[in-house]
Amino acid sequence: MIVCVAVVGHQNNPLYIQSFTEADDALKLHHIVHCSLDVVDERVNNPKKSGPTLNETFLGLLYPTENYKVYGYLTNTKVKFILVTTDLDVRDADVRNFFRRFHSAYVDAVSNPFHVPGKKITSRTFAERVSNIVKSFGLSSTG
Amino acid sequence: MEEYPEELRTPPVALVALVGCPELHAVISTHLHSEQPPINTLALPDFSKISLISKTPKQPPHSAQSLGIFKRDWLLKHRTRVPSVVAALFTSDHVSGDPAQWLQLCTDLENLKLGNIFAELSNTYYRDEGRRIKTCLERKSISSVELSIRYCFKVAVYAEFRRDWVEALRFYEDAYYTLREMIGTSTRLPAIQRLVEIKTVAEQLHFKILTLLLHGGKVVEAITWFHQHNTSYKGLVGAPEVNFLHWEWLSRQFLVLAELLDMTSATIQSTVIATDKLSEWEFSSAYYYQLAAHYLKEKRSCFELTLSMSETASDIDGNAESVAPSVYVGQFARLLEQGDTYTMQPITDEEYVRYALAEGKRFQDSFEIIALLKKSFESYTNFKAQRMASYCEFKMAREYFSVNEFGNAKLLFDSIASLYRKEGWVTLLWEVLGYLRECSRILGSVKDFVEYSLEMAALPVSIAGVQSLSSKECGPADPASLSQREIIHKEVFELVRGESGLASNEENNSVRVTGDQPLHLEIDLVSPLRVVLLASVAFHEQIVKPGAPTLLTLSFLSQLPHTVEIDQLEIQFNQSVCNFTIVNGQRPQSAAISNVQPGHRVETAPALMLSTNKWLRLTYDIKSDQSGKLECVSGPHFTICCRAESPASMNDLPLWKFEDRVETFPTKDPGLSFSGQKATQVEEPDPLVDLQLGVSGPALVGEIFAIPITISAKGHAVHSGELKINLVDTRGGGLLSPREVEPFSTDNLHVELLGVSGLESEDDNIRKIQHSFGLISVPFLNEGDSWSCNLEIKWYRPKPVMLYVSLGYSPHSSEPNAQKVNVHKSLEIEGKTAVVFSHQYMLPFRRDPLLFSKIKPGPDSDQMASLPLNETSILIVTAKNSTEVPLQLLSMFIEVDDDDIGSLAQCNTGLRTLQTLHSSCLEKSSRRFSLSFPR
Repeated sequence: MIVCVAVVGHQNNPLYIQSFTEADDALKLHHIVHCSLDVVDERVNNPKKSGPTLNETFLGLLYPTENYKVYGYLTNTKVKFILVTTDLDVRDADVRNFFRRFHSAYVDAVSNPFHVPGKKITSRTFAERVSNIVKSFGLSSTG
Repeated sequence: MEEYPEELRTPPVALVALVGCPELHAVISTHLHSEQPPINTLALPDFSKISLISKTPKQPPHSAQSLGIFKRDWLLKHRTRVPSVVAALFTSDHVSGDPAQWLQLCTDLENLKLGNIFAELSNTYYRDEGRRIKTCLERKSISSVELSIRYCFKVAVYAEFRRDWVEALRFYEDAYYTLREMIGTSTRLPAIQRLVEIKTVAEQLHFKILTLLLHGGKVVEAITWFHQHNTSYKGLVGAPEVNFLHWEWLSRQFLVLAELLDMTSATIQSTVIATDKLSEWEFSSAYYYQLAAHYLKEKRSCFELTLSMSETASDIDGNAESVAPSVYVGQFARLLEQGDTYTMQPITDEEYVRYALAEGKRFQDSFEIIALLKKSFESYTNFKAQRMASYCEFKMAREYFSVNEFGNAKLLFDSIASLYRKEGWVTLLWEVLGYLRECSRILGSVKDFVEYSLEMAALPVSIAGVQSLSSKECGPADPASLSQREIIHKEVFELVRGESGLASNEENNSVRVTGDQPLHLEIDLVSPLRVVLLASVAFHEQIVKPGAPTLLTLSFLSQLPHTVEIDQLEIQFNQSVCNFTIVNGQRPQSAAISNVQPGHRVETAPALMLSTNKWLRLTYDIKSDQSGKLECVSGPHFTICCRAESPASMNDLPLWKFEDRVETFPTKDPGLSFSGQKATQVEEPDPLVDLQLGVSGPALVGEIFAIPITISAKGHAVHSGELKINLVDTRGGGLLSPREVEPFSTDNLHVELLGVSGLESEDDNIRKIQHSFGLISVPFLNEGDSWSCNLEIKWYRPKPVMLYVSLGYSPHSSEPNAQKVNVHKSLEIEGKTAVVFSHQYMLPFRRDPLLFSKIKPGPDSDQMASLPLNETSILIVTAKNSTEVPLQLLSMFIEVDDDDIGSLAQCNTGLRTLQTLHSSCLEKSSRRFSLSFPR
């Protein structure tokens, strides 16, 4: 189950962060997303280490915590997407597929002429779309 | 790791015993210990002590069940008390035998290599012991699982004695897997103690495996193994009353791995690359230290819960005294004293729980947690993973907070807050600020409390996109919300108005903001409190004349949730005469503010209300000068000093800049918002003094040319006036010839400023005269007076020159730093040679009717021309008068050198006839004569 998704801007500032848990760990998830930016930085600054992920938007598994797995994605405009899931056995294809759909939702949201680039995403449509994508995560990999 | 016994942490070393000849033992021991691999020795002085190492006849194991998995002292026994080889040493006089063999014995002794023979023999012993037990294992004749594990362990230890790491690893793993299977099946002990025993044994086996893997350089395998270990035991929490034991155990697993990784990291770091399954973080000890801290926290909370639930917490201590670790690893028993001997009696689970609780109370988990987090923090900092390091700092700070070390907590929280501010993580910042606010309240620091409160109240948390968080995890501040901001706003303003106090822990006194202890906050360009109050100042003009009024717009912006009323604004400039105060017209009582000095300008504004995110704009006229500091005063005991910012160069508000909202400008005129500056340039006043340069005609080479200068003071008096004179070549390149080697030699000088005449006292007035520069002081002139002098300039070569004269004076006083006014004048003067003669041949095709006026004296006119043979050539001779005096040309001779070739001599005669022909007036003009050369 996906417990948190986030869009992070150029100054490593959150543009959109939403958690999907009933438990009292939303704040902890914020911390986890924030920590994962260290790994994104490291991957982006040392592309040699990450090997196969060179020149790819999908950054793969960023880091494991005891109960979560954190995945990352870097758009061509250097906006970061972070996904936190409690599934300890996740198929890469599912995650890639999720990020693809999330990216297109993001592109639609920021294409809104009333959206100012670099500001937080407050669109309700975007939030709904994201929650649908999150709900359908892992159900089918064809999506 | 320090908790493990020494024999478990280090690889076993073979043990041999020496008996007899005690004087040689030290030498032999040292020698054997320095062997590679080393051998430990057990030295017995004589044979009477041999019984120490004799084997006690063992009873065959209980047929039905064994009492434990393995004995606590078995490993130590084999490392220190059970030798693999016994060497008996005799002196030669104790040996008797066949003398024929004596020689042979001596040779054998000579060839004996002590180290090798011991190593060989002990290897054989350990191999045989291992084999013996292995055979038992293979025969499957073992009655219990416990024995099977014990045998595997023993085989592995014997293999380790032989340094056969592969076999050791295999048998440790066998033992580990067999043990894991035991969990569901064993019934030997009561449930709680059974699990404790299994976990303790598993921990030891796991530790052995991990050490062997890491020492073998197999880091990836070690970490994979660890994950497997973690996965298989993580869920085995056990009975709820002792679940804290499980978390403690789990925390220790992570700690041990982290320590082992730290020990080996120096050698392996370069070789480790992230694999597909493991990320790079899983190779760093930081991650495991952090998790160890996490599970230790889990342990603490479970422990506290258990403790609070146990009804008779007081009698826990009493019963636990006689319980001690038993002879088997992971077991506990009651020690019964029977005369001189002790016997062990099994205990019930209830007794064990009481014992565990009593033991648990002895530890201060918080400090352990902080120590773990600190290690993790340092390790992350080395990796330059500042966010992860900050998260560790945050957890440390929370731990300090929970043990009431507020000073330490505040330091850490402060450093984290700056990172969250920078990156705009509002929810995380809110949480940290909540802690900071609470820390400063308890520490009684009013200023910090007010600052943190104001910052929290001005955080952008009401905006969509921030989820409501539960209060459980938010620390001392309730979850971030608009209503919470409003509460904090109200609280802090009640405090600064002196209406309420701040209840702190310091001597139980509430701290108040009063007249005796006023509160003063500074907000500069980088202060986080810019969101609370942002002040911008814009002059409407970038340059103003002194004394001329200009407009100044002050704009204030606040993100506080409620409207703030300002009592008084004090605007300060770097020129203090311009300072003025704006008072709130709706607060008549505050109009009589004491610190307003007489003559100080006071303006009254109808209202000074700062609404949320709405610019308060005030425009006033101001005379001259630049702005400096802008001071805003609010409340009788509370002042905020705010650095003024220029709208043009103003940075976005931190945090709020990421919010999706309408941009607002500090001034109504958007142009001014983009270009407005907080400083303006004040020009110097217009000069009211005339400077005249009188010149008559061109200057002639060689004459001393005088240029009269007149200064007439029309509207200003002239104080400490100064004339600067500069001569500049109009064509550039200076007034000296390019081949200027000696700069002051007059040979190379083309134009020179000689001096100034017409002065009353030359010594006083001329301060400096150089070839092209002069400085003259002008005496004091009253309004209406005038003063003059003459510049003397000499030309050495014909040359046009620019003369620059500037007069600097101060209109009001003669103080050296009084404001100066400058007048500039310039003039181009041509320097000419008085009379010039030149000649030129006319080219053959431009004869006769051609116009003279077109012919210029070419630069090459002095050069030898080649003329056509046998033809008439025309020579043009030009005379030019540049003076103003008319000159009469009386005669002109043209001569040809007699040495020249014959053809030219002919011309000579022809020319002579011209001598008297022309005599006319040269009146400042040039005359041309044409001469034809007949054949």
